[in-house]
Amino acid sequence: MWSIIRAAIPLLWSNNVMRTRVWSSVVILWLLLLVLSTIVPAAEDESQEPVPASRLVVLNWGFLETLIAMGHPPAAAANLSGYRTWVSEPAVPESVVDVGLRNQPSLELLADVAPDRILLAPHIASVKPQLDRIAPTTVMRLFSPDGDLWPKLVSLTRDMAAWTGAPSAGDRLVRRVEARLAELKQRLPDDVPPLLVVQFMDDRHVRVFGDHGLFAATLERMGLRSGWRGKTNYWGFSMVGVEALARAANLSDETPRLVVVRPMPPGVRASLKTSGLWQSLPSVTEYDPIFLSPVWSFGALPSAQRFAGLIAAALTAPDQKEQSDE
Amino acid sequence: MSESVVSSTGRVARRGRRRWLTSGRLCGVLGLLVLALVVTGQSPELSGWENVRSLWQAGEAPASQLMHYAWWPRFFVAVLAGAGLAVAGVLMQQVLRNPLAAPTTLGVATGANVAMALALVFTPALMAWGREWVAMAGGAVAMGVVFLLAWRRQLAPTVVVLAGLVVNLYLSAVATVLLILNPETLTGLLVWGAGSLTQNSWDGVAFLWPRLLVGGAVAVALLRPLAILELDDANARSLGVSLRNLRLGSLGVAVFLTAVVVSAVGVVGFIGLAAPAIVRILGARQVGHRLGWGALLGALLLLLTDLLVQRVPGIFATLLPTGATTAALGAPLLLWLIPRLKLGSDKPHEHAMPGGRHTRPGQLLTMLALLCGVSLLLALMVGQGMSGWHVLPSAEVLEWRLPRTLAAAGAGIMLAIAGTILQRITGNPMASPEVLGISAGTAMGFIGAIYLLPGTTSTLTMIGIGTVSALATVGLVVLLNRRSGFVPERVLLTGVAITALFEAVKTFVLSGGDPRGREVIAWMSGSTYFVELWTAVAAIILAVILLIVTRPFARWLDMLPLGAPTAGSLGVAVSRGRLVLLGLAALMTAAATLIIGPLSFVGLLAPHLARMIGLHHARIHMLGAALCGAALMMLADWAGRQVLFPEEIPAGIMASLVGGAYFMWGLRRL
Repeated sequence: MWSIIRAAIPLLWSNNVMRTRVWSSVVILWLLLLVLSTIVPAAEDESQEPVPASRLVVLNWGFLETLIAMGHPPAAAANLSGYRTWVSEPAVPESVVDVGLRNQPSLELLADVAPDRILLAPHIASVKPQLDRIAPTTVMRLFSPDGDLWPKLVSLTRDMAAWTGAPSAGDRLVRRVEARLAELKQRLPDDVPPLLVVQFMDDRHVRVFGDHGLFAATLERMGLRSGWRGKTNYWGFSMVGVEALARAANLSDETPRLVVVRPMPPGVRASLKTSGLWQSLPSVTEYDPIFLSPVWSFGALPSAQRFAGLIAAALTAPDQKEQSDE
Repeated sequence: MSESVVSSTGRVARRGRRRWLTSGRLCGVLGLLVLALVVTGQSPELSGWENVRSLWQAGEAPASQLMHYAWWPRFFVAVLAGAGLAVAGVLMQQVLRNPLAAPTTLGVATGANVAMALALVFTPALMAWGREWVAMAGGAVAMGVVFLLAWRRQLAPTVVVLAGLVVNLYLSAVATVLLILNPETLTGLLVWGAGSLTQNSWDGVAFLWPRLLVGGAVAVALLRPLAILELDDANARSLGVSLRNLRLGSLGVAVFLTAVVVSAVGVVGFIGLAAPAIVRILGARQVGHRLGWGALLGALLLLLTDLLVQRVPGIFATLLPTGATTAALGAPLLLWLIPRLKLGSDKPHEHAMPGGRHTRPGQLLTMLALLCGVSLLLALMVGQGMSGWHVLPSAEVLEWRLPRTLAAAGAGIMLAIAGTILQRITGNPMASPEVLGISAGTAMGFIGAIYLLPGTTSTLTMIGIGTVSALATVGLVVLLNRRSGFVPERVLLTGVAITALFEAVKTFVLSGGDPRGREVIAWMSGSTYFVELWTAVAAIILAVILLIVTRPFARWLDMLPLGAPTAGSLGVAVSRGRLVLLGLAALMTAAATLIIGPLSFVGLLAPHLARMIGLHHARIHMLGAALCGAALMMLADWAGRQVLFPEEIPAGIMASLVGGAYFMWGLRRL
């Protein structure tokens, strides 16, 4: 094989012309690489009208919980073990196939599942060109950095229902959740302070949920206020140190009550007990912080309903003691 | 050997001229800056006296409590952590006679990080019990591995730094796997890894000061014997100092100090490297002076950075981690430092590459080609689906496997050739494309694209950006090494610095807890996931073309390992030859990185394997390495898809888990 190549490019073997050839070959190769890189087809974004699909695949836990709650579970979804830990409800039926990671599901397995529609969230839209070859793939927006989240959740739910071929299921779910929220709203006491919803990342840092987030949107539907006025990112949270909570309390004229969404990283509960700042937070001294069972903070209507239920239960049972879950 | 160690003491070159800037003046200036920031940064709601009083007593006002429980503890934690890291850095640099030794470059921080990640995922109870001990154990083990690897070379500076780099890369591959599989559980660890000094009680100060005091006292007690290390080994020994015990003892103190700081506030980059290096450049010659001024400068540097960082939030919806900020600021310093280091002569290494010479290389090549074929068949035919394992898949499934397998093979070939070139022109069997920093540069481009470009980023954009940043990195490496005539070790050290910068940028963007971070991890960990069939075919064609283009250089590649003088006298234009070959290697690395990411170690492993089975001449060596590389990457890609099915481990990570282990083994045998 080598002798052939040697015969084909005899010029390169001459040392005299080597220098120029070296440079020209490097340049040519580089141009070749650039040309090759430009012919990659760009991903075109088209929005389709929902067409009923019998075998749906969803790569987002918010979509998954919505479909299960509507009674039309998908054929396959991503990272089910993670869903069981972080979303937990509604439970995933046995029939749903786990296709692996949410941002890079197993393509071979997906091809085997043979869906007729794949739904994914915009932040993993980079896999769309791949998935399009398995089944038509639609990017559906769950969060957006502008405007009110709730109407978007409602229209997302309706769109998902349309994909399953049972549009009425979507309306039913929306009605059920909104009715449930309205009912909970009735039961709430009148004098609820603003609620500062946080989740601990370690003993010094929290995610605090605010504008554009699921929790803030749910609180608003329940007639409650979110205690975080600071900036939030695309998903409606901000990563801050615990001292930022003290600042937030200082800024507002009304002391917010803390809502801590579990799970908490190991050791955090113990270190909060000795944290001078935590212990002296007005939110901690004036009220008992509410510790909620795990709720998926990036979910859709079912998570919102679950969050609302837990919040309402905590607010209507004022003598609730801190449950230890460590 | 001791001669080369001494000659590579690596002292920063000193000039005879008088300095207007001394350590004292620099510290004075920084101190004034700190003071200005402190005075203007106090809470406006409190009077000046109340602000001061909040140091020891929390008043009724919430602002006073904030000062007492958050601001002041953070202030002192910054001082303590900066000083502790600087002292650790001085000790490491003195003991190893290595100006690049530092807590971060020796793997202590990464080791602690991985240990905590493992504990969080597998034994959360251990983390609740005492995460500083977990961190300490991990850091000590990582540094132990680094020393074990460099032991045979008597901890020669370059070998130690290379070993540190590899241990860092390897551990971050392990951490990436954990992160891919448990993104939610490990979010907090990303913050910790970026080093945030945020405090909400005096616990951090109470944890740090007694431990740092003990460590610092031991360091001071070691000063006199440490001064003897300024001499070379023989002289030191003749003064009756047990070098081994002294070194182990001092390094033990350094690791302890680092682990204490790291477990309290997370990974803070470059203070431990920068502070000792700066005071040394500014003329502090005695180890005692370096320790004192270094500690002061370290404290001031970290404090200043932290005070500035505290001013920034409010602009972003996320916290700015101090540790990653110092690391990002420190990497350029490292790049500036490298051309100013004395690293010893440009003579060939005495150690040969492993392996003898096979008498019939043609036979071996045929065998390797067969191995490639078998790997290809395995990767294409065997896999798992909805109903478990199967052989002979359907066309739909095969459609997915073919491009990925081909692309992996192409990337393997390119990395293998790049590795062969690098190892031969540097005469350094530990050289590899990853070490050159080009992969890291490319990955930084990807991160920039994901975060700075709005909306979805198409594959086209990503490839374009990756190519441009790879070129920029090559340019930087060339620029920084032009004057030294591309001395191998310097080129490798430049790569180390670029990789360090990349790690800093990575932790920086990941620490915000932004779910986009997951996409960054996906791109960085380099999988064949996004490869289309035509890309894969293009990769293979490109690999073969590059293999052919490199062939005429085989003569140079045979001679360059003999060392620059010998090669020059044999008629090789050494500087230009190195430049051209470096350019080719860079091109191949960039192309491969676009496919399988910045980590893989295949560029190291494949040339070694080819060499070990007895392929000696450059031409045959290269071809053999290419075949090995192709087979390795195909197997890695296949294994990555199967091991945790349906969850996938990227091929690059999979290969680096194998290749990195091999690298360490090879380094130990050096």
